[in-house]
Amino acid sequence: MSGNLEIRGIERSFGEMPVLDGVDLAVDAGQCVALLGPSGSGKSTLLRIVAGLDDPAAGEVYLDGRLVNGVAPERRRTSLVFQRPRLFPHLDVLDNVAFPLTVSGVRRREARASAARFLELVGLTGLASRRPSTLSGGQEQRVALARALAARPRVLLLDEPFSALDPEVRDDMHTLVRDLRAAVETTVLVVTHDRAEAAALADTVAVLLGGRIIAHDTIDALHTRPSCLALHDFLGGRNAVMGEVVAGRHLSSLGVLDVPWGTPDGRGSLVVRQEALRVAGPGEAWDVAGVVTSTRPHGARHLVQLDCSGAPLALETHLGPSLLGVGDRAHVVVPHEARHVIPDTTHQSPATTAGTAVVAPRRED
Amino acid sequence: MTTISAPPSRRVDAAVPQRRRSRIGSVARSSASAALGVWWLAPLVPMLLWAFADRWSFPERLPRQWGLDGWQTAFEAGAGSAMVWSLAVAVVVSVIATPLGAMAARALETHQIRHGRLVGVLLVLPVAVPPFAVVFGLTSVTLRWGIPGSIALITALVAFALPYTVSVMRAAYAGHDLTMEEQARTLGASPRSTLWRVHLPMVAPSLVMSAFLAFLVAWSDYLMTLVLGAGRVTTLAQLLGSSASSSGHDSSVAVIAVLIVAPPLVLLAVIHLSTRRTARA
Repeated sequence: MSGNLEIRGIERSFGEMPVLDGVDLAVDAGQCVALLGPSGSGKSTLLRIVAGLDDPAAGEVYLDGRLVNGVAPERRRTSLVFQRPRLFPHLDVLDNVAFPLTVSGVRRREARASAARFLELVGLTGLASRRPSTLSGGQEQRVALARALAARPRVLLLDEPFSALDPEVRDDMHTLVRDLRAAVETTVLVVTHDRAEAAALADTVAVLLGGRIIAHDTIDALHTRPSCLALHDFLGGRNAVMGEVVAGRHLSSLGVLDVPWGTPDGRGSLVVRQEALRVAGPGEAWDVAGVVTSTRPHGARHLVQLDCSGAPLALETHLGPSLLGVGDRAHVVVPHEARHVIPDTTHQSPATTAGTAVVAPRRED
Repeated sequence: MTTISAPPSRRVDAAVPQRRRSRIGSVARSSASAALGVWWLAPLVPMLLWAFADRWSFPERLPRQWGLDGWQTAFEAGAGSAMVWSLAVAVVVSVIATPLGAMAARALETHQIRHGRLVGVLLVLPVAVPPFAVVFGLTSVTLRWGIPGSIALITALVAFALPYTVSVMRAAYAGHDLTMEEQARTLGASPRSTLWRVHLPMVAPSLVMSAFLAFLVAWSDYLMTLVLGAGRVTTLAQLLGSSASSSGHDSSVAVIAVLIVAPPLVLLAVIHLSTRRTARA
């Protein structure tokens, strides 16, 4: 029941403002792709275009190789689950799940029997006769998922379906989606602005910035080997230091650091995730030395800001201010596999200055 | 010990006046409801007494002789056919004005029409204009063009019912979530299925109320039927008017009044019970 989805050159404007500016994206059958982008980047618009609820100004949508531009939503077999569950209030839970079957002509009794199996998949068998208004947010979204799957879609479209839920319930829903994908083979395109959600749900992540997909890769690759500074910045990377690559070494205010084999010579920003950096233990070899300029709690860890000979460097550590306080000197290990250079020709940040260290604009994670 | 036990005792002390206050409030509410009930229902009592009174002379407080003479006289005077006319006109007006009002309301609320505010004002205009002035103008037109009185009457009554149906349905569509219909479409429902299985069930309570109001407008009309019906259409309201002013037979007038009052009350009770059942479900 899973299908291929291919989007080519989709353009869409609202008034004078272009929102989607030539979006290309391919989702293979059975894959789950997360479309990640900031609020207002056009993610939901793209999903609506795929579902047939909105028309693009230009570009094509193909499902299983067939052009579906102009095809009515009900003929596309692309179930869309919205952020709010949109359960029909006049139907009970089982009839909600049976809805796609009854509208396709299946007799009500058979539709309800089939719906019961989908309700069982999402673990809500006991709530079949309840009205949607009596359900919790998580239960409502489970029913919405069961209903979407009951339509046996070629592509299941999820539009920030769990963003309104509590973090605990959201984690449960992520597990549920993974389990459902194992039980019901289906292609999934999920829209989210939450990096953690994209990582939890998807095989690959496509990042929509400035109306285009600027990268499509695994979440690991996107984090550790971003193709441009805009992507590094969007993914919450805090360290980007401009310098020069000469014969496999990056020269900057941080000093001289070996970079992965194959990095081309020339100007470029060394990017390294703050989570990958660590403070060297006593007697351990270190790569960069700096003085702590600030420290603050960051979840279960601490975010420490260092001044490394004029270059700011951020790292996450378990060491609290009592062990690593402002003014302390720290030796930092920069793991070789965490180093990545974005050549200057591709960098898109206006904040870079030749020969000086730059840190991507601060973001709250 | 004293300090520990003090707070609970204060709480208990505080709870007593609160409970007393709530009891007083509940008694006040019940009394007000009962007073309202008497206010609404009291006028119906003499009407019902008269409808079953064969003899009731002044100054007796209750009828001296009970019976169904009034019913016989009323039906001999044409109450049966008048009731059929009333029902037919009211049902037809309701059937036309309700979907028209719903469509206009949806178009206005979803901003599908230009100058929506102006159109909204125009749609409620019939309530603001004295009906007699409009009907007088209409009569001369329908006579000249040879338009049957019943059609002219239905058309005029629909125009007078529209402000009510539009208002009720605008309120319904203001809170109606259009994405529910989009959701239905992505689940495989055709536009027709979406209309019957999602759209209409979701606005059904408002549609019922709107239909009831349109029914009432036509059911209780006297003036427009008198002028546009031109004597060929006799409804209960007209029969009541003519009987009350000419016959002097109080019990038959009371019977016609009962026939006018009963159907809307029955309809209202049915609507109330069905919406309560839906809400409970």
